[in-house]
Amino acid sequence: MSKRTSEAARARIAAQREALRKQEQRKRITMIVTIAVIVVIAAAFTVWSVRQGASEEATGSVAPVTVEKDGTVVMAKAGVTKPVVDVFEDFQCPACKQFEETSGSTLKNLAAEGKAKVVYHPITIFTEEPTKSNSLRAASAARCITDGRQWLAFHDLLYKNQPSETVSGFSADELIKWGKQAGVTAPDFEDCVRQQRNVAAHQQFSSQTMTAQKLQGTPTIKIDGKEIDTNVAFVPSSLRDAVESAGK
Amino acid sequence: MVQLASGASVSERLQPAKPVLSWVTTAARVVLAGVLIVAGALKIGAPALSVQAVRAYQLLPDSVAQVVGYGLPVLEIITGLLLLVGLFTRAVAVVGGVLMVAFVIGIASAWARGLRIDCGCFGGDGTLAAGQDPNYFWELMRDLGLLICAAWIVARPAGRLSLDSALGFTGERETADKDGSDGEDDAA
Repeated sequence: MSKRTSEAARARIAAQREALRKQEQRKRITMIVTIAVIVVIAAAFTVWSVRQGASEEATGSVAPVTVEKDGTVVMAKAGVTKPVVDVFEDFQCPACKQFEETSGSTLKNLAAEGKAKVVYHPITIFTEEPTKSNSLRAASAARCITDGRQWLAFHDLLYKNQPSETVSGFSADELIKWGKQAGVTAPDFEDCVRQQRNVAAHQQFSSQTMTAQKLQGTPTIKIDGKEIDTNVAFVPSSLRDAVESAGK
Repeated sequence: MVQLASGASVSERLQPAKPVLSWVTTAARVVLAGVLIVAGALKIGAPALSVQAVRAYQLLPDSVAQVVGYGLPVLEIITGLLLLVGLFTRAVAVVGGVLMVAFVIGIASAWARGLRIDCGCFGGDGTLAAGQDPNYFWELMRDLGLLICAAWIVARPAGRLSLDSALGFTGERETADKDGSDGEDDAA
């Protein structure tokens, strides 16, 4: 009698154990599936995000670039007058470097495709040292270049070699070296850079531009005079869409 | 009889002793999740900006800043979603707490070094608009508040309305280590 009950109890315990084991197994499978789903979702988000940040490949062909008297630089195919994409930038501003790296190729491509007239407005927004002097030296040197192609190459080199905001950079020697790399052959370029001949003109242009355009900071991108959100400017595909739809 | 008794013990296990407190956990989850999801969603679409916002702190080497700029929004959204539905609640709350600690360190160090930046928490490139002042104090208060939420969740997971309870994930820990006491499980 007592043996029978204990056997029955043992069987019941075994059955319970089995049930528990199965339950555990089910739980484990649920957990693995859940983790897999989370990983897939995270991967999908990541892929999408990386695409949003992806820069366009520069096609290589560049629209004609003209250095204007007022200090602006126009990049557009002949006859293309709109939409106008204004780029207000400071060679020393890190966000401008990031914009150039992210969306610079999109602007060059759009201009080369005849879909936009791009106007660069190099200004100096910094009021403290060493950033202010860095910016002034670079912008003043850029003004020493009158050839559009060379100016654009110099512009790209400045961003590529942008100094940190905490150190004195963009030295005259560096600027002259990059100028030569950019193809500048004009005999008075070196003197122009060393003497910072264009600082006054650049400062006047800067303050005028900032007031007239009501700039909050750099980079500021405007399409046909309307400022676009950074969430558009820093997403190459969105920037392209915005410019193309303005051109329609 | 035994069946009934064990059934009762299972439901007891799934329902924490103090129902009010478990609702507090749920509330903490919703608050922390809400902020994380919004913060991540506002940044994930423009990763170049997000990278720039990380760089503005001038704390991390460039390659790391790149990874953080791209990875953080994804991490925030996933963490937020998991907290919202209450899945792997305790572990995820630990991640949320670690994020808050990292943000507090970042903002405090920017403040201490006299940088003038926007925290970039909800998008933007980290620069302040002209005439705008940094808002370090309230950014820190907000993140410390969220850190308390995370700590509460870690201490008392998973709260009401959680997938952990629905899928039996909370029960598992306690049944799995049969030789372990509840106290040990809390420490785990």
